[in-house]
Amino acid sequence: MPRPARRNPASPVGRRPGGGRLTLSIHHRLRDALLRAGGTPGADTPRTHAAPPVHSPFAASTPIEHAAVRAVDVGGPAEPPEGTGFLDGIQRYAVAGRIGLTPVVRAVVAAAVLTRRAGALRPAQVAHEEFVVVPFARLTGAQRSALEEADLQLLECEVDERAHPILDVQAAVHVIEQRREALERQVAEAHLVEERDAWLVVDGPIGALTWRGDGPPRVLGIVKSHETQYLEGPDLEAALTLPAGHRTSVFGRATGGRGGRREAFSWYLRLWPWEDHDLLFGLVRLERPSVPEVAGEATAVSRWILAERAPLAAPDGRWDRLIYPIQQVETYLRAQAGGWL
Amino acid sequence: MIRLGDPRPIGRVVATEALPATPHQFHFWTATETPIGIGTIVRVDGLEGRSAYAVVMDGRAYSDLATPLHDVVAADGDPAGARAPTRRTEVRLWTAAVLRHVPEEPVQPVSLSDVWLATARDIETALRMDAYVHGDAPTGIPIGVYRGGGLTAPVSLDAGFLLGPESAHLNITGISGLATKTSAVEFILASIFQHLPRAKGTVAAVCFNVKGPDLCFLDQPTELTDEDRELYGALGVAPAPFKGVSYYAPFKADGVNLNTLRSHPDLVGSVQPLVWGLREVLDYHEVLLSRDDLDAKSDAFLDFLADRVVEKSFDDDWGNRHRVQSFADLERLFRAIFDGLEAAGRGDIWRTHHIATIRKVRNRLLNISTRCKGLVTDDGTVSDLPFGHFEDRAVYLLDVAGMDQLGQDLVFTRVVSRLREHLERRDLGVDHVVVFVDELNKYAPGDGPETYVKKMLLDISERGRYLGLVLFAAQQFRSQVHRRIVGNAGTMVFGRMDMDELATPGYQVLSPATKIKLATLPKGELMVRHPHFTQPIFVRFPRPAVLSGPMGVARFPPATDVPFEDAVVRQLVALDRRVAPGRVKDMIADRREDEVRRALLATRRARPADALAFFRASLGDAVPATAVRRAAGATTPLRSVEDPYAT
Repeated sequence: MPRPARRNPASPVGRRPGGGRLTLSIHHRLRDALLRAGGTPGADTPRTHAAPPVHSPFAASTPIEHAAVRAVDVGGPAEPPEGTGFLDGIQRYAVAGRIGLTPVVRAVVAAAVLTRRAGALRPAQVAHEEFVVVPFARLTGAQRSALEEADLQLLECEVDERAHPILDVQAAVHVIEQRREALERQVAEAHLVEERDAWLVVDGPIGALTWRGDGPPRVLGIVKSHETQYLEGPDLEAALTLPAGHRTSVFGRATGGRGGRREAFSWYLRLWPWEDHDLLFGLVRLERPSVPEVAGEATAVSRWILAERAPLAAPDGRWDRLIYPIQQVETYLRAQAGGWL
Repeated sequence: MIRLGDPRPIGRVVATEALPATPHQFHFWTATETPIGIGTIVRVDGLEGRSAYAVVMDGRAYSDLATPLHDVVAADGDPAGARAPTRRTEVRLWTAAVLRHVPEEPVQPVSLSDVWLATARDIETALRMDAYVHGDAPTGIPIGVYRGGGLTAPVSLDAGFLLGPESAHLNITGISGLATKTSAVEFILASIFQHLPRAKGTVAAVCFNVKGPDLCFLDQPTELTDEDRELYGALGVAPAPFKGVSYYAPFKADGVNLNTLRSHPDLVGSVQPLVWGLREVLDYHEVLLSRDDLDAKSDAFLDFLADRVVEKSFDDDWGNRHRVQSFADLERLFRAIFDGLEAAGRGDIWRTHHIATIRKVRNRLLNISTRCKGLVTDDGTVSDLPFGHFEDRAVYLLDVAGMDQLGQDLVFTRVVSRLREHLERRDLGVDHVVVFVDELNKYAPGDGPETYVKKMLLDISERGRYLGLVLFAAQQFRSQVHRRIVGNAGTMVFGRMDMDELATPGYQVLSPATKIKLATLPKGELMVRHPHFTQPIFVRFPRPAVLSGPMGVARFPPATDVPFEDAVVRQLVALDRRVAPGRVKDMIADRREDEVRRALLATRRARPADALAFFRASLGDAVPATAVRRAAGATTPLRSVEDPYAT
């Protein structure tokens, strides 16, 4: 006959029949220990799979604003500029079929700029493209001719001689991503020509963008992923432990944009408190063209990006770093794509 | 904002598995800024020339906010914090109920197409008015204008479904003072009088004024606003007061001052006294004597009186001959019976009727002349509506507001019964009579005893349309009126409604948004249901071109009651301004009041050129006062049997 669980006089909670402590107890005890050790408790969210591999974990940077990166209180949110444009793009693909082992990938990419006036978003630039990606090297002339008769644009992807059902598709997806980025550049540049005095907020880095004319355009990239760390040591700790409503000093980083390596000015901004979550919660990295005035504008720009926390981009899982207008561009493009498949 | 005439659609029909488009209902979205609202009529052009016309019955707006908590988080929990720089994406999703498909067959779900604001022609088509407002013999009766999306279009009812024979009757419901029920009926009556085609026959209205001065000034013009005049113009109705209005009111208990608020010296001359005698009352004794009160024996004795005694030469068992024409005559007969039985010592039975039954009937009947004093006289004089001589497009108004419930019931029952009798014989003078009665829930409540009035109203509502007897009824709470009476009304009109009333089962067919609109309707707007309209339609009507009750009383303050002599003078002066008050007073100084009343009534009825001369002639020679005193002495209290039913 099983004996009733005995209470541990040193612990406020009991034991499970199997002998393990209750999860709640572990959570609280570990949290207390972290606080005693001077640490910061996290969300303690259970996970089952390893994070995907990081391809470029580190890159170099140069100090621009301060010799050492420090946290700067931006002073709370401020009203964003009127007429700001927001740029994003989407891609969708599907393996339409295979010729032998060779995948024939059908794809659509789209990009749009929505401008905001009086709080309402309206489409300003929209472009989309539909095509088929296939490794030409694996096709016979007759097979390629047959595909061309489908009256769709055919794009080539480079694959190894040795066939691989996954890597071959990934090679096609790489081409699709390139086309999407090209389309984003296209609509961004068109918008910058038409709305030179207005701000353009881009989802992601601005490295690939080019612009014409005098002076820096009012382009701002919002980077949500932090695979690549440009800072190290105390600078990195200062950046990743920023309190909410603070930014880091502006630093420069190489972008590798078209026309040779260029530099973008960048800084981190904490939108939401990361305590009880993790280091990257609510953390975005902002990018601007590398011109001297940028450092002086970093606080003002950070303030209106702080204002973009509302409306919340939830229920998107990236709501802590995704601003609502960018999410709306994506929603708009998805709705436009509609029943593509 | 999209307006009428804009060549662009205002929305698009959407359908999902959860919200499908059906033959009777569909959903569509519009821009956030849109001119449409609850009650707006729209058109959907489908494939192959099919069109669907529908009225907006509900609307929803929502954003992409997944949970209110997200808004709280975004605002840092501070509702007064800075506004979000971007407005959330919002959708306006409307639900519309189909009014009509063109072509009608086959009935199919509404196409998932563009939605357009209805034009004036669309309104006619949607409401099926195209079948009766045009052509060689139009039968449209304008009731108000539809307003939606910048369009103002007249809405008409079909006379064949308003006055019969296809369907008939109109019922109007709404909160007192806010629903403008009386004004609506006044306007509709004016519209009927002006638009009922001659081919549909003649029509008159009999209105019962049951409260205050509501209907007392139908012949007096009022000032209208420019908007009202525009509405009259749009509806093709001339803004003028009623021309042929006859007013009837009973006397007050003094028998000479009229019991009406239309007693201003300038107007009282146009009010005819409503005076009935014994015969008029006895025929409708069921109204006055409730079933609980009388048994079969009483009923039999009443029938005996009606068949064998009243207005006939009748011999009692003691050598007396009676001719009963008035309550006074009846009282003399009763006394002769009681005295005869007592003197003869014959016990308690007279002509198979027990003396207790006779006493009971006597008390009830004679009590009527007391309770309805002013309406019922005991001297045999009668002044009544001109049954048999009703005029086309005339209004006969009976002001019974000052009477108690019993008297109102009697007037209502007798007048409507007479109307029915004449219409059955086709000798009323007109082909249709609209009977307007307010406070219907008082006369025909959904619960309570089966009264004679209620049975009669049921009969009118179920069979009146074949006769041309049309009931226009109003009440505050439709749910409290007998269901069959309400259900038989072909046309239903709703003004501003009480939310509690709207929560009753009778309004389940209305959408929540329509109920909210009904509960907040401004004065002058109505929701109309009509056999041709498959969905309720909101219309606006102009103020009636007649003086309202309160304004009428302000402009024509009622005269105060005056002593008998002065009242006689006032009425004669109203008939003939040359009449010298002193001469009238001298003339009636030593005369019995019933003689004076009879002469005055005759003068009023005749309306002679020389009122005073006619009055003098009607008055006749004086009867010695002693003879009067002796006659009065005949009604001494009974001594023989104590009356167990005396009240």
